[in-house]
Amino acid sequence: MLPAAGEVPWRAVVNGTEKELAIESNAILLDVLRDKAGCLGAKRGCDMGTCGCCSVLIDGQPRLSCLTLAAEADGRDITTVEGLADGHHLHPIQQTFADYGGSQCGFCSPGFLVVISALLEENPTPSDPEIKSAIEGNLCRCTGYQQIVDSVRAASQILTSGGSIEDSTAPKSDPHPGFSEEGAS
Amino acid sequence: MSVEKKDDEMVGYRQQPGKLPFSKPGSGGKNQFSKPTDASIIPESQGGSKKQPWGPHPHDELVSGQAIGKPTAMVDSRWKVTGQAHYGDDVRLAGELIGRIVRSPHHYARVLSIDVTKALELPGVIAVATGADAANKFGVLPVTKDEHAMAVEKVRHAGDLVACVAAETEATAREAERLIEVEYEILDSIHDMRDGLEDSQTPIHDRGKYHIGESNIQKRVFQEFGDVAGMSQAAVASHKQNWLFAGVNHAATEPHAVVAHWDPSGRLTLYTPQQVPHYLHRALADVLEIPMHQINVHRTFVGGGFGGKSDPFPHEMCAAILARKAGRPVRICLDREEVYWINRGRHPSRIEMNLHADSEGRICGIETDALIDGGAFASFGHVTTYYNGVLHTAPYEIGAFHYTGARVWTNKPASGAMRGHGAVNSRCAVEVGMDDLAEQLAVDPITLRLANLLPPHSATITGFRVTSIGMRECLERVRAASGWDDKFRKMPLGKGIGIGCGFFISGSALPIHWDPNKFPHATVHLKIDMDGGVTVHTGAAEIGQGSDTVIAQSVAEVLGLPLDMIRIKSRDTDTSPVDLGSYSSRVTFMNANAAISAAMGIRDELLDATVEITGAERNKLVIGDRRIFAKNDPAVGVSYLEALHKAQEDRGALVSSGAYRTPPMGRTHKGAAAGLAPAYSFSAYVAEVSVDIETGQTKVDKVWAAHDCGKALNPLAVKGQIIGSCHMGMGQVLSEEMRYLRSGHLMNPDLLDYKIPSVHEMPEVIPIIVESNDLEGPFGAKEAGEGPLLPILPAVCNAVYDAIGVRTSELPITPDRMYRMIENRCRAEKVSDPLDLASPRLEHSALQDTLDARSNAHTERDIERRLDDEREPYHNGALFGLDPTIPPDEVDPRWAVTVLPSDEYLTTPRLAGSAWKHTERRHRGDA
Ligand code: FES
Ligand code: FES
Repeated sequence: MLPAAGEVPWRAVVNGTEKELAIESNAILLDVLRDKAGCLGAKRGCDMGTCGCCSVLIDGQPRLSCLTLAAEADGRDITTVEGLADGHHLHPIQQTFADYGGSQCGFCSPGFLVVISALLEENPTPSDPEIKSAIEGNLCRCTGYQQIVDSVRAASQILTSGGSIEDSTAPKSDPHPGFSEEGAS
Repeated sequence: MSVEKKDDEMVGYRQQPGKLPFSKPGSGGKNQFSKPTDASIIPESQGGSKKQPWGPHPHDELVSGQAIGKPTAMVDSRWKVTGQAHYGDDVRLAGELIGRIVRSPHHYARVLSIDVTKALELPGVIAVATGADAANKFGVLPVTKDEHAMAVEKVRHAGDLVACVAAETEATAREAERLIEVEYEILDSIHDMRDGLEDSQTPIHDRGKYHIGESNIQKRVFQEFGDVAGMSQAAVASHKQNWLFAGVNHAATEPHAVVAHWDPSGRLTLYTPQQVPHYLHRALADVLEIPMHQINVHRTFVGGGFGGKSDPFPHEMCAAILARKAGRPVRICLDREEVYWINRGRHPSRIEMNLHADSEGRICGIETDALIDGGAFASFGHVTTYYNGVLHTAPYEIGAFHYTGARVWTNKPASGAMRGHGAVNSRCAVEVGMDDLAEQLAVDPITLRLANLLPPHSATITGFRVTSIGMRECLERVRAASGWDDKFRKMPLGKGIGIGCGFFISGSALPIHWDPNKFPHATVHLKIDMDGGVTVHTGAAEIGQGSDTVIAQSVAEVLGLPLDMIRIKSRDTDTSPVDLGSYSSRVTFMNANAAISAAMGIRDELLDATVEITGAERNKLVIGDRRIFAKNDPAVGVSYLEALHKAQEDRGALVSSGAYRTPPMGRTHKGAAAGLAPAYSFSAYVAEVSVDIETGQTKVDKVWAAHDCGKALNPLAVKGQIIGSCHMGMGQVLSEEMRYLRSGHLMNPDLLDYKIPSVHEMPEVIPIIVESNDLEGPFGAKEAGEGPLLPILPAVCNAVYDAIGVRTSELPITPDRMYRMIENRCRAEKVSDPLDLASPRLEHSALQDTLDARSNAHTERDIERRLDDEREPYHNGALFGLDPTIPPDEVDPRWAVTVLPSDEYLTTPRLAGSAWKHTERRHRGDA
């Protein structure tokens, strides 16, 4: 067995919930989030800081969790992709990612989404160059980034126009619909 | 929205005044109103107003206006954006162990002994396995099974599997990995593909009596069509280029991962991000020596495939073997470095490309010689070897075609199938050749292409049946959109514009595993119970391309339902009908067709039920939004649920099965089936680039990308595929390369040194969708996932020539290579400052008018052919004066197909052609 590093207590607010865990003192944040905190949304694409799939927010700032010692995040506020939605209401960037093709395979999406949510928090109307520089550390192999940028623009629209996102549990289509000349929705 | 009153009542239907239907128990009672059918979506052939410039389609009568052709969010996107999508490494089972793999540090070695005792003594280690635990070979193609779960006797590349271990924690597993002692006898390894053509003391594999000489040649192909010898005499312009293409990797963001679990009944469930679960299913049965019905392959979400997750993999076998031994679930997740060790990326290739044009500006001949580096295993290579030749026999009509191809084993990670399988490199070489021919003939390269296209409903020189062709429209639209005529050969030094085309299969007509071709390629099951929601069972592997969505759209369209009423179950081989998987761009074409046929079964029953309720004439009934009504009197109709419940009387849930199988087609020569497809996609891209003359840095500024996908079922996804393909092709042409030292060491198995384009390198891409309405495609659709990658490489290469007058013959065009090319040009032209170099310019020759005239005449010919049901056959060769209605080889002995080289050829073979100098063992009489 590797020399046991010895477990240490670790606490942090993860997606709004206080977590108290025992971790190895040299544990990497990504491992703690995935294996102990139940945040499988944070993805491991490379484990060496090159792909951005593991991006999370620490006190609102984007960080690569594969390069962060869990100890550094002790006592801090951590947000993963699981923490973006408000109950059954998606965050606007989640909604527009779905609607504008920001996700294809979706493996990179959790990283992009947290990074973009931080961008929009700071600057709800980013320019294209600002969007691009915010996501320059995130690799996507599917989309060619263009529909990701489209999604950010659309999310910015929603945020600035005060648009709202529907509750995903709202009733879906009625298989026995009526028909009315003025009421057809 | 309110309904417009129109005389033409076809567009909607009237609810009888004051007679809104009551809410049915269980319907949700929301009284959501049905939308009147939008006439602009209904095709002209059905009385609607949707124009059909390509003629009617057999599926026109199924159009309800619900889903097809609308930009549609992926049905599984909400899982992905919330972190609820579980990929390979996200499957967590109680009591799981972590598996790790011991890999060879040597390129080629005999395994003399493996000592696992120390590893087993380590507390926390539960199971260890080696090659002795799995003797049977496997491989994706049944004709070339050459892989083992772990080394049996030999390791064949650095990173090849030797043993594996399962332990309580990852740290323990990694420690145990180090404690496994392996004794090797190092063998002479080969790394240069050219060496693979020679006899060896220790060939990497032994094919028994089928072994070719004592060499490392895994597959060789020789094909000649037409008068190859005569063609170079007719040529007034010839292009020859020797290309070297670096190998590239899929670099999907998700590393491969797998979880194996044997349940208490003794059945195995394997959770894995697979593009092709069915082939894995078969391979697992072979390796584990249990029947297929004892195995359930569960496809997890797939974090990018691109061909890189389409082989059955040894680590998948290892997980199953370890879990069986340990009696507990085992999870293995590969490191990024290991992803490069298992590779299956695009083959490093040496391609000699010769193109000839005659005085009429016709492509009188193509001669291609492709040597491809297969690495240590066969994988899909048998097919790749053919594809490097046969997939460039269209879209141009050609006078003669010669192809020699060879794939060799080397001691490198195996090459395999990658997006644009086998077509990408040779297509790049052909399209750069076309550019060069145009330069030599002093004509515009787009016109040269337009004047040489095969018409719709024709046969290529290799006998492939081509149905719809939107190639001409693709070329014309990118020419107009990019402002080509004002830019080509007119831009300042360092700026350039270039064109490239593509042609790709829309599904392979020959299934890999099924012989004879009697089973369907795709089967889809539907089940609808009282709730009215439709459950779709399909084995099509959703890998991010949107297959679940396109199948849901197809079903929704036929049944007139909103997408939220369709749920796709495509994960488990236990419940999904067999499907060949996501490769060869087959899914939309084959599965949507199967889904349509299944939905038509249900549709029939709903119409029957409606007749029973309303007494309306059956052939007058149409389906709209959740409502079935009479076309001539829309007031007469029932809701979807009413018809459904009527149909369910006495029997309960409706079920239906639909299937698709390609029609018989093609010729009979050896290899005739490789490249055969029920339809083909076409594309044309224009790229604009800037080359920094002093640093050699090339940047792509903008791309106009036109792709003929038949019909865009989901335009959002089609655009996503086009842009994503540009990304991947841009990587290959400018920055991506698996770099090996001469010693064979892979220098860059990571995403830092293996450079895929970031957001800053990506140019603006203008996707242009061309819809040629393929008669056999679902609602007219063809593929859009791989073909769009092809044109970007040559478009960039040709734009580079336009910018700085150098023709590259080596990819990727990294700054150092570009710098060297510029230096060479300066030296050749005795120019001291590269900024003084002249840009290429074009003065049209008289041939330009000939080509323009021919292109115009062909435009008319093509429109006529696509609308004419009685059209005559058209065989390649007609442009050269042959009778278009007869295959040339049936009338002229000089056109006979040859699949073996003559003795004369063998006196001076080309590089790959030299593979034919060896005699197969069985023909030598010594085996
Ligand atoms: S996993 Fe952290 S950057 Fe790739
Ligand atoms: S969506 Fe697949 S990597 Fe970005």
